[in-house]
Amino acid sequence: MKCMIKLIGALCIVFAGTMLGMYQSLQLSARPRQIRQSIQCLQRLETEIVYGVTPLPQALHAVAGAASGPLRSLFEAASRGLMGKEAASMREAWEEAMASNWSHTSMKQAEKEIFLQLGTLLGISDREDQMKHLKLAVRQLQGEELAAAEEQKRYGGMWRSLGLLSGVLIVILMY
Amino acid sequence: MLERIEEWLPPNLRAVTSRLPAKVRDSAEEVRVREGRPLEIVYGGGYGFLNADGSLGPLPDSAYRPSREDCVRLLELLTNHSVYSFEEELKRGFITVRGGHRVGLAGRTVLEHGKVKQIRDVCGFNIRLARELKDTGKAVLPRIMDAEARTVHHTLVVSPPQAGKTTLIRDLARLISYGSWPSHLPGEGRKVGIVDERSELAACERGVPRFDVGPRTDVMDGCPKAEGMMMMIRSMSPEVLIVDEIGREEDAEAVREAMHAGIRVIASAHGRSPEDILKRPALRGLAEEEFFGRFVVLSRRLGRIGVEAVLDAKGRPIPAPESIPSVVRGKG
Repeated sequence: MKCMIKLIGALCIVFAGTMLGMYQSLQLSARPRQIRQSIQCLQRLETEIVYGVTPLPQALHAVAGAASGPLRSLFEAASRGLMGKEAASMREAWEEAMASNWSHTSMKQAEKEIFLQLGTLLGISDREDQMKHLKLAVRQLQGEELAAAEEQKRYGGMWRSLGLLSGVLIVILMY
Repeated sequence: MLERIEEWLPPNLRAVTSRLPAKVRDSAEEVRVREGRPLEIVYGGGYGFLNADGSLGPLPDSAYRPSREDCVRLLELLTNHSVYSFEEELKRGFITVRGGHRVGLAGRTVLEHGKVKQIRDVCGFNIRLARELKDTGKAVLPRIMDAEARTVHHTLVVSPPQAGKTTLIRDLARLISYGSWPSHLPGEGRKVGIVDERSELAACERGVPRFDVGPRTDVMDGCPKAEGMMMMIRSMSPEVLIVDEIGREEDAEAVREAMHAGIRVIASAHGRSPEDILKRPALRGLAEEEFFGRFVVLSRRLGRIGVEAVLDAKGRPIPAPESIPSVVRGKG
């Protein structure tokens, strides 16, 4: 009986280890994907601003409509912040939206910096200028995407096996 | 009155204006924001500088001085966070916000090929409150009416700035469109076309007028006057065409075109008297050819919308309706 419980416990530990590894590798693969989505969002925002001359609250709303997951909520929240009665500035609305939604994404500090920087610039200049800022942000994100993809390739498999193996290691040590 | 524009004021400024005495708030005409200089309000014909506690003073020394941050924020709110969608407005120097309030802008201009491309570093704002004063046109309408043709004469409203030109012609549009003629004419409205280059006359939001300009009125919003008048003539068959502040050569040409098409025109122009208008090269032609059958002269000293005189094409005054003998009145 005692042996049985021990075995079940050991299986649990191995399972947990594997899951932890899986989660980490999933995060690694989600990051480049979300960066790619962000790039698409910003490109769409650029189209709305430069060619559609859509006012920012509506432009952000349109971008949110085309996005999915945490990015959708991010743009949605920013748009809502601007449309609210108590007129917040773009910077405030954006920072608030970032604060409540960023943690749901798999993106890291570097991307966050790019996004925050963008929030201080959106809407406050002419179209040409807006286009430049958005293009720059897209280029920066593309750089991050490459790095993230590289990281995923290198560490993705490692995390998966590391999770399983560490689970096994703990079990061995316990026995 | 002031609460209508307060949604565009940044929190700091709103905190100051909200403490103003009710009397000043109700009669406010302009709020003038200048970066680093005293906040000013023009109301009921006078002006004052606003102190941070909401009291008004004639001296600028202790007044609240809007900061750079205030001005940036104000511009952001006025443009709905989208300065890029107001490039044309920034080129012309004013923004019209919801409700028809016009905000004049001053600052450092950016040139391109020797022409103003836009205003950057906007640091001066003149927020003018639009007001819809119904029935201001009632006193004028009988005097510009062409009773035989059951419409109005070609009319030019002449007035210095801030004397109520726009308010008056907006109300005339409404009265003519509703057919609110003086009692002895059957109430038949006319098709009215408004060319509203600065979105001031009808205060359109996505093309739909926010002011009551009458049921038979079409509005061409944000359209250059001359082009808009031609478009209206070609497509909307108006019977009366209403434009604000004509003054350029092409405006005069379009007015002439409308008149030849049998459309009655009510236009306004800056000036103190019809003679003033005669001095302006673009309008001189129109005046000399006696195109306009009526001149309405407004002035500020006779209250808010003071009709100083209504003159006919030859400059003879048209008396106010109550002094017209009943025999003449019966002619309509």
